[in-house]
Amino acid sequence: MKVSEALEIVHGADSRARPFHVVLACSFTPLHLQTFVAAHLQRRLLDRKVTLATGLYGDLLGVLRKVRTMQADAIAVVLEWADLDPRLGYRNLGGWGPAEEPDILQQAERGITEMRRAVEQAAQGAPVAISLPTLRLPPAFHTAAWQAGSTEASLTAAVSQFAADLAKLPRTFLVNREQLDAASPPDARFDLKSELFAGLPYSIAHASALGEAVAHLIAPPAPKKGIITDLDDTFWSGIVGEVGSNGVSWDLNSHAQIHGLYQQVLRALADQGVLVAIASKNDPAVVDRALERADVIVPRDKLFPIEVHWHAKSGSVGRVLKAWNVAADSVVFVDDSPMELEEVKQAHPGIECLRFPGQDYKSAEAFLRRLRDLFGRPHLSEEDALRRDSLRHAKQFTEELEDASDDFLRQINSVVTVERAAAAADPRSRELVNKTNQFNLNARRYEEAEWDLAARREGAFVWSLAYQDKFGPLGKIAVIGGQCQNGCLAIDVWVMSCRAFARRIEHQCLSLLFEQPGVEEIAFCFRATERNGPLQEFLTGILGEPPTPGARLRREDFLRRCPPLFHRFQSRET
Amino acid sequence: MNPIHARLIHCFSLVFPALPPEQIRAATPRNVAAWDSVAAISLVNVIEEEFNTQIDFEDMAELNSFDAIANYLTERVPAGD
Repeated sequence: MKVSEALEIVHGADSRARPFHVVLACSFTPLHLQTFVAAHLQRRLLDRKVTLATGLYGDLLGVLRKVRTMQADAIAVVLEWADLDPRLGYRNLGGWGPAEEPDILQQAERGITEMRRAVEQAAQGAPVAISLPTLRLPPAFHTAAWQAGSTEASLTAAVSQFAADLAKLPRTFLVNREQLDAASPPDARFDLKSELFAGLPYSIAHASALGEAVAHLIAPPAPKKGIITDLDDTFWSGIVGEVGSNGVSWDLNSHAQIHGLYQQVLRALADQGVLVAIASKNDPAVVDRALERADVIVPRDKLFPIEVHWHAKSGSVGRVLKAWNVAADSVVFVDDSPMELEEVKQAHPGIECLRFPGQDYKSAEAFLRRLRDLFGRPHLSEEDALRRDSLRHAKQFTEELEDASDDFLRQINSVVTVERAAAAADPRSRELVNKTNQFNLNARRYEEAEWDLAARREGAFVWSLAYQDKFGPLGKIAVIGGQCQNGCLAIDVWVMSCRAFARRIEHQCLSLLFEQPGVEEIAFCFRATERNGPLQEFLTGILGEPPTPGARLRREDFLRRCPPLFHRFQSRET
Repeated sequence: MNPIHARLIHCFSLVFPALPPEQIRAATPRNVAAWDSVAAISLVNVIEEEFNTQIDFEDMAELNSFDAIANYLTERVPAGD
């Protein structure tokens, strides 16, 4: 990105949009880096107006220490070697050479300790995106460039350990050095003239690449939820209908390792909670036998649903989307046939279609990496792992629900666990609020800092609900929150996972609220959206009329309209 | 309008978006509060991109008005570039 392009993006943003405040902490003159971070972020946050605050020149630690008093939706920290010891930069003449090396190393280690503490503290206020030194060490050491000396190696090791420690911290996200190396060649990063005259050590190209890397961490794309894969010449090598279940392969000896690696990625994705389904034009009995082979890397129970028949794949994909209850734009479809990809793409325009690369080894590596990028998640939660099983249970539940009635709901042993005190601090609560569309009171999305602020309002509460029944646990499936004022609860957050529909959990949420002492009325900060039809339908039933912003529900009306509830309760107060 | 002036006005409007277009041709660091040392470097970079040229930091001190920059560019940028 050019400076002029970045400025156009920054100045072109809608000044009336809700602000997104970023604090950029670095000890050099931020200059273009500031512009590029703002521009790359603005491109990702189209409905927000990105504002960027920086601290005093040379005072990175000072900025981090006071950042909790600043308004920040996110913090970007950009470190360079000179932040660990000024002698590792070019603007100080503190000395290079063997006599200085031990002291430089000691000072750098002290600097890292201080920095780690400051980042940890800052991350309590807002998420931190951090870049560790991206420039080469200066020629300060006794070895020639082609030999890594002990001081250089020790400095690099100390920073690597720092990186490992930071990566474990909650709300702290580290720029991936390898990815940055690919985007910004190391030799083209440093600009000595700019460093000496302007105080910015980066070339314009590197400032842009680094700004983009930081923006990517602050506003990452939403990870895809599921992958639907073809079988023949994709999941395995060979046409199973022709060579039989023992004739298909995915191993090194058969020169089919690409397919084994693909299965390995699918297995890893399934283990992190990604939904994996099959869409294949084949004889179901033959496929059954192949999937039963002991050496299949993705066990059959991790594949759901399995659509194997001779009909169009677009139909298979449609049924998979329905079973998963997700939109096409959350899903990736992989096939080796361009014709099949096109047929699916036309029927489901939002879906991401990837062609399996076959024996094109150069494309194959990029393909495997692309899959990791599409599904990568900053952190994993227990609920992610539960998702596939709960969908399978949901299908069984829905099938039995066809005759559903009070009798059915009474005998499924449903248990609702309510978490009160710790719900707001649980990252899964905000995640659920931010990704739920269909049963969502107003579709408001929260940055971490906004979420924390809302939860700390006087009289505010946030509860989360987990659910299980005889079909299995669904995990945390609902979040409700608001503020209590003079006997009226104003609800401004209410979401429920679509996996939990038809169990009267939404009724139970309201029932729980009316059980609070003195609550006679609930007001809903409702906003109609294109996708919250299920929520609107529920509110219409319980209010007796279509909901409007600020709609109110009195206790007696709720009790009159609420159907019988059969859940058993557990309460978690810690 | 002189084509260099037109392109230079665009550069100024990017770096100083609050500056009304009619005031750009009279702009100097004295009458544009936002024209500080950081903005000066941004302006130089934007001009370098626009005119595909390199401006020495040493020359920046003299580039202290719209007219001074326009004259500098007229001397160095080939016509039609």
